[in-house]
Amino acid sequence: MAHRLHITLSALAFLGAGASLAPAQSLALAAKPATTSSTAATSVRTADGRPDLEGYWTNTTVTPLERPKELADKAFFTPEEAAEWAKRQLATPEPTGPGTYADVHYNMAQFGLERSQSKVAANIRTSLITDPPDGHVPPMTPEARQRNADRAAKNKGHEFDGPENRGLAERCIMWGNEGPPMMPVGYNSNLQIVQGPGYVAITQEMIHDVRMIPTDGSPHLPADVRQWMGDSRGHWEGDTLVVDTTNFTDKTAFRGSSANLHVVERFRRVDADTVLYQFTVDDPSTWAHSWSAEIPMTKIKGPIFEYACHEGNYGMRNNLSGARADEKKQQGGK
Amino acid sequence: MKKFVGACLIAAALPAWAHHSFASEFDVSKPVKLQGTVTQMEWINPHSWIHIDVKNADGTVTSWMIEGGSPNSLLRRGFTKHSLEPGTQIVVEGYQAKDGANRANGRDLTFPDGKKLFIGTDASEQTPSAKPDK
Repeated sequence: MAHRLHITLSALAFLGAGASLAPAQSLALAAKPATTSSTAATSVRTADGRPDLEGYWTNTTVTPLERPKELADKAFFTPEEAAEWAKRQLATPEPTGPGTYADVHYNMAQFGLERSQSKVAANIRTSLITDPPDGHVPPMTPEARQRNADRAAKNKGHEFDGPENRGLAERCIMWGNEGPPMMPVGYNSNLQIVQGPGYVAITQEMIHDVRMIPTDGSPHLPADVRQWMGDSRGHWEGDTLVVDTTNFTDKTAFRGSSANLHVVERFRRVDADTVLYQFTVDDPSTWAHSWSAEIPMTKIKGPIFEYACHEGNYGMRNNLSGARADEKKQQGGK
Repeated sequence: MKKFVGACLIAAALPAWAHHSFASEFDVSKPVKLQGTVTQMEWINPHSWIHIDVKNADGTVTSWMIEGGSPNSLLRRGFTKHSLEPGTQIVVEGYQAKDGANRANGRDLTFPDGKKLFIGTDASEQTPSAKPDK
């Protein structure tokens, strides 16, 4: 069953430079994955009796997807260690130094973009990955390694030819966090869940796409219909919303996955302030076996704001004009 | 010349916090320090852009565009598009655009007295009511 610890995580308030102290908050720590759906019954319900997942949430985290080497044999922190870990992660200064490429970026703290300036869902896990038990993504199959190497080789030397060569995020088409599975992103890592008869809708602030998930028992789209975010269908297993997604394209590779990616997500309201989000990804064309992770999402005040990414995407033009300037310089023998 | 090479994967990842490659846009060998008067703040995603007029030694004026962070985060931390009104004097330290245009990233933004713009937030919640540090 889900074992939850509630601690006063005032340690999380020891934030990075420039941030004020947060009031002590009681945050839920998801210590062990749920194995059954009925054990975490919550009194927070919608009018039709379903567990209420609605509201604004953040999945901002200080927990790495994969377990750090130095913690190889340690799946869980003690609450004190977790607080110390969070403190260290949030205090880590930007990797920058005058005259270095890392410095050619704005000061994240000034623009409210540091994680230390967000609410962070506490977690005593040492990795988001819960299975395999070593906390690491399973090795890629030789087929997947070759596929990804071929893709990279094709683009090599053409990275700045035109907008089509730039990544999906830079083109404001999709961000890697959107999934599914939905992953934390560096900033604005917020989402809203709305439940209605026959549907659950999820808006992620980055970068504004809405997932409309039918929960009416309808089947997946035909296999030849492929979508950027796949085709998601939801159903309830006790108090857990289970969302099954297939029909991906090969354009949105999640950690090198293929169009055969299959994602199963589980959403469970474990207390008033927490939705425990778990997912399992499977793609025999990419990994030897499936793997799973979990991310506690904590409640935030709304609203989330529109992120009309392409509206002001001067960066695309400026990157390409920068590349043209570099080419001219090289042609000039410099 | 231009060659389309198919899907550009999100997995070909930028760092989680970067919308695009700043090193491709700005020139690390061209650091700039500008003091100017705000003429406009573009409140747009993925990046805010602040326009300033910089007075040159010969009395002429050069307009610069300064790239900053997402307005969503600023708004959440109490900074609105009215927080930096035209006429405000600011100092910008950053790097100039590679193509030589009068654009720079806003590495550090301060008021002439040295106070930082924007910095500092209520980390507990995102209530757009706090005053900016100015």
